[in-house]
Amino acid sequence: MTEPATDRLPEDEAPRRLAGQNRIRLIAICFGFAFLAIAGQLTRLTIFPMMEEAAPRIAAEDRLPRPDIIDRNGVLLATDVAVASLYADPSKIIDIDEAIELLTATVPDLDARELRHKLTTSKRFAWLKRQVSPEERDAVYNLGIPGVSYVNERRRVYPQGRLGSHVVGYVDLDTKGIAGIEKFLDGQGALYTASLAEPAERRTQPAQMSIDIRVQAAMIDEISKAITKFSAIGGGGIVMDITTGEVLSLVSLPDFNPNQENKNFTKEQQNRMTSGVYELGSVIKAVTFAMAFDYGTASLESLYDARFPLVIGSARINDFHAERRVLSVPEVFTHSSNIGTAKMALDVGLERHQEFLKRVGLFDRLQTELPESARPLLPKRWSRLATATAAFGHGFAVQPLQGAAVVAGLLNGGHMMTPTLLKRSGEEAMAMAQTIVKPDTSEKMRYLFRLNGIEGSASKADVIGYRVGGKTGTAEKVVNGRYSKDKRLASFIGAFPMDAPRYLILVMLDEPKATPETFGFATSGWNAVPTAGLIIERIAPMLGVAPVFTPEDLDKLAKLEAKAKKRN
Amino acid sequence: MHKFLNFILVMTLLASGFVLYSLEHETRGLEREISKHERAIAEETENMRLLNAEWSSLTRPDRLRALAEQHLGLSTLKASQIVTLEEIASKVPAEPVMKLEAEGSDPIGAIIDKMQVQ
Repeated sequence: MTEPATDRLPEDEAPRRLAGQNRIRLIAICFGFAFLAIAGQLTRLTIFPMMEEAAPRIAAEDRLPRPDIIDRNGVLLATDVAVASLYADPSKIIDIDEAIELLTATVPDLDARELRHKLTTSKRFAWLKRQVSPEERDAVYNLGIPGVSYVNERRRVYPQGRLGSHVVGYVDLDTKGIAGIEKFLDGQGALYTASLAEPAERRTQPAQMSIDIRVQAAMIDEISKAITKFSAIGGGGIVMDITTGEVLSLVSLPDFNPNQENKNFTKEQQNRMTSGVYELGSVIKAVTFAMAFDYGTASLESLYDARFPLVIGSARINDFHAERRVLSVPEVFTHSSNIGTAKMALDVGLERHQEFLKRVGLFDRLQTELPESARPLLPKRWSRLATATAAFGHGFAVQPLQGAAVVAGLLNGGHMMTPTLLKRSGEEAMAMAQTIVKPDTSEKMRYLFRLNGIEGSASKADVIGYRVGGKTGTAEKVVNGRYSKDKRLASFIGAFPMDAPRYLILVMLDEPKATPETFGFATSGWNAVPTAGLIIERIAPMLGVAPVFTPEDLDKLAKLEAKAKKRN
Repeated sequence: MHKFLNFILVMTLLASGFVLYSLEHETRGLEREISKHERAIAEETENMRLLNAEWSSLTRPDRLRALAEQHLGLSTLKASQIVTLEEIASKVPAEPVMKLEAEGSDPIGAIIDKMQVQ
């Protein structure tokens, strides 16, 4: 305390000086208290350091999270998890050599030369490594290199792995969708994605697909077994709800694991069901039959002469399983007669054939939510021969999904619906459906499909109790512009339960070979059809299809049981 | 009089200063607590995401099937194994072997009766 200036005042003013001193004392005490308080707070802060008021590490996100993807039953197919990514600000690094040495020692898979290249640029930002494990992140952070730090990023993970591959798709490192539904969410489905957002809650509703992951797993399992068994180069399948157009399962093999880092896929791994076009062969006959019924040029009682090959110009149309007799319409279907079907199409006429194909949408590219889609390949000039061959699927290639959608339309009462991979209700589907054939035609198609399931080429898919019907197709593949005799595409389109068709199943095998068990045959009835049977047996209980047994079914079952007992 | 007034004013100043300071201190504490809870929530949400993903990955249908085949000896459900309640009811012997009803309690029978009524 310095002596106050009042000291210099004359002696006789002593009482006043005393009064002044009091005031000063008061002020001094006040200051003393203030300093004490500051000192006290300082001590407290030093001894009990305050929790660092850091920004929350994950909470503060500047944009809304990407929607999760779930299947129709709510099973998680894709989600975001937080991962750290290491980056550097090269201008802040003092000793580059030391930094490189420390970094390569801590993160073994960093390349020293590449790192040096990154750190010697004049840029102020360089990724060191994206999406590192928490251990790596902490190790690098604890090195304490100035200018090296991490940010928390979101990484897309696919818990179901390869089960979702083609339908779910995948994203790139910046979580931008580049295939499958993931691409749809960023691209043409951006509006849909926006509708899922809840900005006030800082969260996003999941996108619900129409896929049923259990059905998907059964399909992948059985089709990959079939591929191994028949040494096929690939295969695929679709299960669709024909009352809503929802795709319950879409499989293309070989597939991939969307979680893998290297996504340099081969051509074989593309989605065969939508991005490739295939000649589905005799499966297309279903379209011709529906057409003939709908125009009234044929009925179930009509007869077609299949005794001789059909000659058009210089071309001869022959039957694969030649019967050489007059066939009724159901026989043309179950024996898959090319001659009969070609004659049916010619009866309808060229103009009306084209008009019908246009009506069912086979002239246009089918666009679903999947970005990968291929345009159908049709005959360039529509001649008599083109009509005759297109009637049984020659020179006529479509995406398998499109083929399935058309057959679904023929079986569900004539309502053509664009298939969807997102969950949709029956009412929504009916609102957008277009009528392609009369209900009566659809009824006849159901009859033919079921008949072929009971006694025709599709009988191996008829799981006792589930009333399966279907149409098989074995197309010769075009190799170097010619039909190859030994490279085939076997396909099957069926539906169940046929008394009120609800689910459509398509199975396709690319280049299946004959095996001893198939007695040297490599046609659809011996490979694609039994595969479909195995799949139906697995998925029908999941889809809630109750089995119904006729007395004949019970007989058959009893015989099978007796046989099994004998074997034991 | 002036002295007293001044004293009162200074005291009020000090008191209000103290109240202000303690309020601010309290606010800061609360803010810190909020951010702590927010961080905890974010962390829990993140954990939930991770656990959901793990759950989904562990209950993959192909994995469950493999495990069920290996450890439980289960195989594909045959259509003939599915029976309706009526069929079960028709196979139940007319005379119950155990006269539970006579003893006045047949809980399972009651359940079946109830389901059949529906």
